Amino acid sequence: MKKLVQDIITKLSIPSITFADVRFTTTDDESIYFEKGNLRYKDASLDSKSLGIRVLINGCWGFAGTTDLSKKSIDYTMLKAISNAKHGSLFKREKVAFKAIDPTIASYMYTPKENPFIMDSDEKIAYFANIAAKLTKNEKIVYSNVSASFYRQYKIYANTEGTFTDSLVYDVLPSMMVMASDGRQNYSRKWPGDMNARRGGFEKVRAFEFEKNTDRIIKEAIDLLSAPSIEEERADLIIGASHLALQLHESVGHATEADRIFGMEISYAGKTFVKPTMLGNFQYGSELVNIYSDSTLENGLGFHLVDDEGVPARRADIVKNGILQDQQTSREIAQMLGLKPSSNMLATHADEIPLVRMTNFCLGAGKGSLCELIKNTEKGYFVDFTKTWSIDDNRYNFQFTTEIGWKIKDGEIVGIVKEPTYFGITPEFWNSCDAICGEEEWDLHGTFHCGKGEPGQVKHLSHGVAPARFRNVVVNVKA
Amino acid sequence: MQDTFKEKLLEIIDKNPSFKFLFAYSDWETDFLRFYRSQTNYNISKRATALNTTIYKGKKSLSFSITNPTIESLLEKVEEAMITVDALPEDPDFVDIEKDTRKAEERIKTNNIEQMSLEKKISYLTKLADAVEPYKFKIYGTFICNYEYTHLITSNGLDKIMRFSPIYFEAKAVSDINQVTVLEAFGSENAESFDIDCIIKSLISKIINAQSDVVDVDPGEYEVILAPRCIGEYISYYTWSSCSASSLDHKNTLLEGKLGEQIFPANFTLIDDPKNPMIVNFDYNGEGHLYEKTPIFENGVFKNFLVDSYYANKLNMSENGAQGVCLVMNTGDKELEEMIKSTKKGLFISSLHYMNFINPKESSITGLTRDGTFLIEDGKLTKVVNNLRFTVKISDIINNITEIENKAHTFPQSDNYGQFSINSFSMPHVKVKAFNISSSTKTV
Repeated sequence: MKKLVQDIITKLSIPSITFADVRFTTTDDESIYFEKGNLRYKDASLDSKSLGIRVLINGCWGFAGTTDLSKKSIDYTMLKAISNAKHGSLFKREKVAFKAIDPTIASYMYTPKENPFIMDSDEKIAYFANIAAKLTKNEKIVYSNVSASFYRQYKIYANTEGTFTDSLVYDVLPSMMVMASDGRQNYSRKWPGDMNARRGGFEKVRAFEFEKNTDRIIKEAIDLLSAPSIEEERADLIIGASHLALQLHESVGHATEADRIFGMEISYAGKTFVKPTMLGNFQYGSELVNIYSDSTLENGLGFHLVDDEGVPARRADIVKNGILQDQQTSREIAQMLGLKPSSNMLATHADEIPLVRMTNFCLGAGKGSLCELIKNTEKGYFVDFTKTWSIDDNRYNFQFTTEIGWKIKDGEIVGIVKEPTYFGITPEFWNSCDAICGEEEWDLHGTFHCGKGEPGQVKHLSHGVAPARFRNVVVNVKA
Repeated sequence: MQDTFKEKLLEIIDKNPSFKFLFAYSDWETDFLRFYRSQTNYNISKRATALNTTIYKGKKSLSFSITNPTIESLLEKVEEAMITVDALPEDPDFVDIEKDTRKAEERIKTNNIEQMSLEKKISYLTKLADAVEPYKFKIYGTFICNYEYTHLITSNGLDKIMRFSPIYFEAKAVSDINQVTVLEAFGSENAESFDIDCIIKSLISKIINAQSDVVDVDPGEYEVILAPRCIGEYISYYTWSSCSASSLDHKNTLLEGKLGEQIFPANFTLIDDPKNPMIVNFDYNGEGHLYEKTPIFENGVFKNFLVDSYYANKLNMSENGAQGVCLVMNTGDKELEEMIKSTKKGLFISSLHYMNFINPKESSITGLTRDGTFLIEDGKLTKVVNNLRFTVKISDIINNITEIENKAHTFPQSDNYGQFSINSFSMPHVKVKAFNISSSTKTV
């Protein structure tokens, strides 16, 4: 396959093509899903091959992708990419341009401790069947599910600047949930939350200790049926890592994807309130807030050798001591903003066009444990486990509901609240951050489901976070 | 699908009567032009062939997918799956796969990728960009043509072909001055009905409304006029969450035990109507069941859940094959102009963004307005309003409809992911009282 990719690059290395790159991926996906204790489906798409060719001609991108790797199909795909660029350039006023970069030649092969694709199938099913059965034992639990997805992707990337890399990665995404009902109202609890994807094999599934947590989520879901709601107008919130990862994702991660500044995503995902003039001076958060994109973190789902246009992995400091410093960029957009490309241009499969995507997008750790932070909070709520999320077109006004909240009084947890819902304006919210827990609470939390682009792509990525406290947040929202 | 491949699928079914097979062979192709700032962003062409298979042995099942299947890869995977499926636990609720062998009349479908060439797309976009330029607006959006062929073959005798070739066009005009945005969309399988002059005329009229001052409004309850795509989106969220048989099984709908009861006012009728000439038509649902006209609410009375074969068996209900992707709401007796004119103070909402349920059983939801929110004062659209957040119960919205337009409008929808499937709804404008705006975004 490497030879095939190299042959295509050689054919595309002609003067009329300013730049070209070729990607090849082989992807394995497996999903297991239990509902109400029973196996509803076991599904696999293995050895799914695809190829994508992107060319820059007359200042315009053209792209074509295929799953058919016959010679005839590859020739057609190449011609189609060229034709798309040529036709597109007839409706193009601002030509795409960027600086050349030094080629990278490298290889990376991840080896999981327990390879989910070769482990005993019976053992794998039995592991989840056991958990699924435990979730159905209480009559107040009217619905439950247990699911797991396993993913492996081998990728070759090559471009006309001489970059040639290949890589192999493994990711897992396990989850369970219960819904309790008293006939009138329903409340759900999940474990381990929505940002539950990890780089690795089945050992990462075991690390979540599902069995230990089944009784806990059943009890919490049932307790929510009789729990009060938050009554205050405003409150101090400590946000747990699982949900804070999503808060970071929606209100900083997507807001600092620079393709949004130029309107490239207006038609679907939206714009951003961030403007180029804010770089270097805009107070995005309090001085404690340090946010960075780092595709060199091997434990994260966003690790790579080079992105999908040949930019070597690197860390980019997006917000430093609260000030907006940088953006997540492609080579084209970095040039438009006068920035160094951040290595964030990625596609989900080879037959999809790369877009500006988050990789490992992290909130830097502060100091102290979660217990200490709760102890140091006079009055407020600890909220975690995402239930609902929504953010506006400009990534400015957000509203989140978590499944559960714990009331804090004089540094102690004194009870739970149902469906805590909070609303905020992005910079006001991040400026209200007055504490972030330390390294001992910091971890990478991942997802398989970051949607963006048209046609839509869902991307794997991670967020490094530790629980943090935000002061005086609006919590009185009700339908 | 080549005849030899189809014969092999039928042979597998014949030779293995102790198993049940569900084969879905698909060829999919897209030509996808994305534009921004009145110029090309990128052009994509993509082709994919796949065979999705589910094998059943009694109450056990296993699914797999093969890209670019060959007879060799098919036989290898089937053989492997027939061994693996035996070791899996049963789903005691599973009874049988789809049994509806009735066939729709096969319709000839033109491949719109060929009909709507890239040259044509560029010429339309150039004309549209030139038309909005004098108003200091630029166009952003997508222009897509798909061609999809799916052949469904099963052990229960289903042998059905589904062909789609939708065109999906969505153009937003965005102000160079303040980013105020308005939207126009087209979705159909009939390339001849694409009328760029009509699209330009409609978009320009929206641009003219969008040139007023931008103001903010306080949170609170407002009388609102919802554009067809807005009421359509609320209703579709409600239909898929509260009216599906799966939500009944999951105990997550307040409609349990309410069939035949008056749920909403008599002015509300909703039909799932896959043959309606106003919208993108479907012959079958995803399981191959004939997709037929199904009333969901008739004069406010709840008539039908959406019931597929699995939940029909599990819940002992009649399967109707409805899937809620062809929703048609009744029209009323008011001209849109009258509805605006009779509004003393209110909001006109053109489009919605990022909706998510807070509590699906209660139909409580939050989301935002987008692409043109206007203040109505003394019967006129007077100002552009910043995008607003609403936190509402969809059931309250339907209960609070006070006026319904006398005309229906078609608008397309896409799930955006996977094979970018496209459907459309037909809805009128509606006026709704006591609509809860929970905050402003302070931006457009």
